Amino acid sequence: MSTKEERERIELLQGTLDLLILRTLLLGPAHGHAIAKTIEFNSEEVLQVEQGSLYPALHRLIKRGWISVEKGTSENNRRAKFYRLTSKGRRQLKIETSKWDKLVGAIARILRPAE
Amino acid sequence: MRRSKRMLDELDADIREHIERETQDNLERGMTPEEARYAAVRKFGNIARVKEDTRDVWRVAWVEDLWQDIRYGLRMLRNSPGFAAVAVLTLALGIGANTAIFSLINAVMLRSLPVEKPSEMVLLRWSAHREPRITGYMSSGDCINNLRVAANPTGCSFSEPMFREIRNSNQFSGVAAFANSGPLSLTGNGPASMISGQLVSGDFFHTLGLKAAAGRVLDLSDDSPSAAPVAVLNYGYWQSSFGGARDAVGRTIELNGAAFTIVGVIEQRFTGITPGSDYDVWLPLAAGPRINNPRMWDNREDKVTWWWLTILGRLKPETPVLQAQAAISGMFRNQMLHGSIPLFEAGGGIPGLPGPRGGAGRALGQVVVGGPAPAGARVAPPPPSGGPQGTVVVGGPAPPATAGQGTARIQAVPAPTAQGQAPSDAASEPRTLSKPDDEPTVTLAGAQTGLTGSRGRFASPLYVLMIAVGIILLIACSNVAGLMLARAAARQKEMALRLALGAGRMRILRQLLTESLLLAATGGALGVVFASWGSNAIVSFVSNNQPRPLTFATGLDFRVLGFTVAISLFTGILFGLAPAFRSVRVDVTPALKEGFSASAKIFRGGVKRFSIGNALVVAQVALAIVVLVGAGLLVRTLQNLRSIDVGFDSHNLVIFGINPSLAGYKDAQIDSFYRDLQGRLTETPGVKSASYSMVPLLSGAMMATMFHWPGTPQDRGSESDTLEVGPNFFSTMQIPFVAGRNFTISDYEIAAQATSGTTPPAVPTPVIVDQAFVAKFVGKENPVGKRFGQSEASQDGPASPGYEIIGVVRDTKYSDLRREISPMMYTPQTIQGATFEVRTAGDPQALVPVIRKTVAQISPNLPLRDVTTESQQIDRLLFQERLVARLSGFFGLLALALACIGLYGLLAYEVARRTREIGIRSALGAQRGDVLRLVVKQGLSLAVVGAVAGIGVALGVTHYLKSMLYDVSAYDPFTIVAVSVLLVLVALAACLIPAQRATNVDPMVALRYE
Repeated sequence: MSTKEERERIELLQGTLDLLILRTLLLGPAHGHAIAKTIEFNSEEVLQVEQGSLYPALHRLIKRGWISVEKGTSENNRRAKFYRLTSKGRRQLKIETSKWDKLVGAIARILRPAE
Repeated sequence: MRRSKRMLDELDADIREHIERETQDNLERGMTPEEARYAAVRKFGNIARVKEDTRDVWRVAWVEDLWQDIRYGLRMLRNSPGFAAVAVLTLALGIGANTAIFSLINAVMLRSLPVEKPSEMVLLRWSAHREPRITGYMSSGDCINNLRVAANPTGCSFSEPMFREIRNSNQFSGVAAFANSGPLSLTGNGPASMISGQLVSGDFFHTLGLKAAAGRVLDLSDDSPSAAPVAVLNYGYWQSSFGGARDAVGRTIELNGAAFTIVGVIEQRFTGITPGSDYDVWLPLAAGPRINNPRMWDNREDKVTWWWLTILGRLKPETPVLQAQAAISGMFRNQMLHGSIPLFEAGGGIPGLPGPRGGAGRALGQVVVGGPAPAGARVAPPPPSGGPQGTVVVGGPAPPATAGQGTARIQAVPAPTAQGQAPSDAASEPRTLSKPDDEPTVTLAGAQTGLTGSRGRFASPLYVLMIAVGIILLIACSNVAGLMLARAAARQKEMALRLALGAGRMRILRQLLTESLLLAATGGALGVVFASWGSNAIVSFVSNNQPRPLTFATGLDFRVLGFTVAISLFTGILFGLAPAFRSVRVDVTPALKEGFSASAKIFRGGVKRFSIGNALVVAQVALAIVVLVGAGLLVRTLQNLRSIDVGFDSHNLVIFGINPSLAGYKDAQIDSFYRDLQGRLTETPGVKSASYSMVPLLSGAMMATMFHWPGTPQDRGSESDTLEVGPNFFSTMQIPFVAGRNFTISDYEIAAQATSGTTPPAVPTPVIVDQAFVAKFVGKENPVGKRFGQSEASQDGPASPGYEIIGVVRDTKYSDLRREISPMMYTPQTIQGATFEVRTAGDPQALVPVIRKTVAQISPNLPLRDVTTESQQIDRLLFQERLVARLSGFFGLLALALACIGLYGLLAYEVARRTREIGIRSALGAQRGDVLRLVVKQGLSLAVVGAVAGIGVALGVTHYLKSMLYDVSAYDPFTIVAVSVLLVLVALAACLIPAQRATNVDPMVALRYE
């Protein structure tokens, strides 16, 4: 029980949340809650994002110019803020993704030298 | 940043929105509203922290960090108040000394001219390969004149016709000409007083862009012989002498007996165009003849051969400076090569030069007239009918208000070449001022740098002092660096801990630099306070030693504050950087463990740190030695000058200048006035005797005479210093006779007749000479009765019987203490202005009011000038030496104290660090003496190494002081030894306290330590 519980709740490595947000927004603009839900859903609920931590990350990305923010109304006609990937963010996503691949590959080679 | 504010303002709404959505989702999953809300909030996390983190994203990180560093730094300093106090005080002394000296340099050397757009103003300067043939030359000390330089003489005085031509040429948008007015006696506003005045062209103030504070400034129409005579007052003078009364404008005052109407007061910021020479009153050029003796004035306003005006031009924006220069130079050249000179005026130019203010010497030195060839100069003022022998006044005035001190020297006496060449020129060529191959030209220099004024006098002492305080700052820096190093060692564990906990090295470096900058900033702020005390003290010391207060405006302006901020930052980085780098290079693991292995601490880490600490102390000692040796040499110079045998008794002597011609006395009346005053003064109780002379001894002023000595080649002139003296001069001054007799009444009559010019003198003028004169000219023969300076009748004048020596007196110093004693001849006084010397029985100061009353009884309207005592006058003469000796001595001791504090700090720290080692040593049987020796040996060897290095450096640099030294070698062994002994003694004292502490270490306590 408890082991399963812990496996399900993997803490995000520092900086990976940014990567996940960028990747999520590649599908199209979304509001904050939708981003959190998408990450949870796509990771099959393994990654449990503490939803609040989304906001500092969003602001950080805005400050860096990787995403932009626009006002609109959501599906059920509620006021909402949509975050959109900028072209700068798109480029950054590529860089971050390849970095991540390298990191994963390197760690994997260390952990499974036999393969 | 507006974006960040908007983003943050919306954050609350965004979060609320988010939680509502989550709640909605939960409700849809079938939770109760309460559960749904609770789960949503829990999933969101700590709202307050989210907000905080989001805010942090937008925060400017370094400002926050800086603030944090500052708070942390302040806390650290508060925790070690002893360290902070020593460091701040050390830095404050270093920065304060630098700021004080820099504020003086700023005031004297750097401050811009007090006029509108000073950068547009240019100074006209002439130069040629040979001295132009002019009859009169006067420099008011505003800029540098070098007339007697054989090759390429240069100067910045021009004739009035030249000035008018330049003004009419329209090359400038305005031209201003000016010259010292000579001494002015003012009546019509309370008791008669001496004031200083400047003659200026009518457009002077308009050209400079100056406004009147009351009334109006001078206009072109005021500057004409037919215009009503008007005057403009200095603002400060208006305040002090007219109480700032509005109705002063319109009042009439008398200057040297001529009436002038005050038309205005100039704005407050303008006290004079040239730095350091200020004037009480400005008069138009046309007023010159009204206030000057006609013989001295010499109708110079229309003569191209009488050069006396300094000229400034304001450049037109559309005219490039080189174009204006070419045009002016062309006009000058034209006048020099083609201008016609009346035959009687032609001659070798011999110049004089006055300072801007009236001292006794200056009054006379103001105008100096070049004389006819071949035998020398005409006597200035009254031309001797006798011809060849003449007097040249070379006197610079009493010290500081004078400007071109160097100039005064150079222009001493006509060069023999000039004398020889004049007649042949006259015979073969048309009389022009210059020849084409002399290439006379005019250059335009920035007025800011060109108008040196009295700056030149102060330049080298100020730069020497600036170097001294610069060295002190270095000592202070290395001192504080030493303290910081010791502290860094003590904080090694803290740093290692912080590094281990993940602090970035840059972050720690910045933290440490912030701490040192905090120290430097505090030191700088305190330093500004010290500096304002210091510069006030220096300025008041300077002013107390001037005939008139010196008016360099010192004070804190933006340049001075900028300088202080810059050196504070510089010092903060300089002393902070090395310890900071050391701290972050800490090897984490051993440093953390060090607390548990004290022995490792002694051997490892220690060696390196102490080599830096030792090097710093050695450097401090060496630098202190350099300052001390320099100071020692300057102090020795002052001592040498003070102990000079001046040749007369300078104690109990009141001197004052008086010129009865300013009150309307004429010719023979003047003589009888002097005799009357001399008689009355002698009868005054408390007065032993009284006499007078043309200028006082040791006032900076002097005159010289050219004559022909029998037996030397006809075309060669000989030169002697000369001084006209009244009856009883030698007994009053207590200059003993070596041979011959004193002047008698008939001697004065002969001299008066020789200079009156009415009838050619029949007998030689009697003179008394000094021993140097005898040694140079007479040799072993009996000097008494010897005649010299005879001349035949020629185109230059009738025959002259010359001089006859009637007595010989002891050598005395003449113009100043540094000048070698030269051949000197005393002649009976026939001249108008005089300085009285009154020998008193007791305190000379006490007699001053009595003397004033005595003069007032004879002539109530006659002002006394420069009332002082001979000792005060010598002090004034030495004021620069005293200032430099005093300040450099102070700075030397400061350097010594700082270096020894550095030494003490290092040893004290080391003793504290080696407590355990010392404890072991004493436990193993070391005696108190051994321990004492251990510490003292280290301290003394550092001091000795530093002293040797310092002496090496000092020997390399002291020769730059040479021009300021007197009778002491730049490598004076006595000074070097004395300074070294002083340093070693003080260093020993600095060692003893920590050594004493080391001997008190209890072995048991030390061994249990840690």
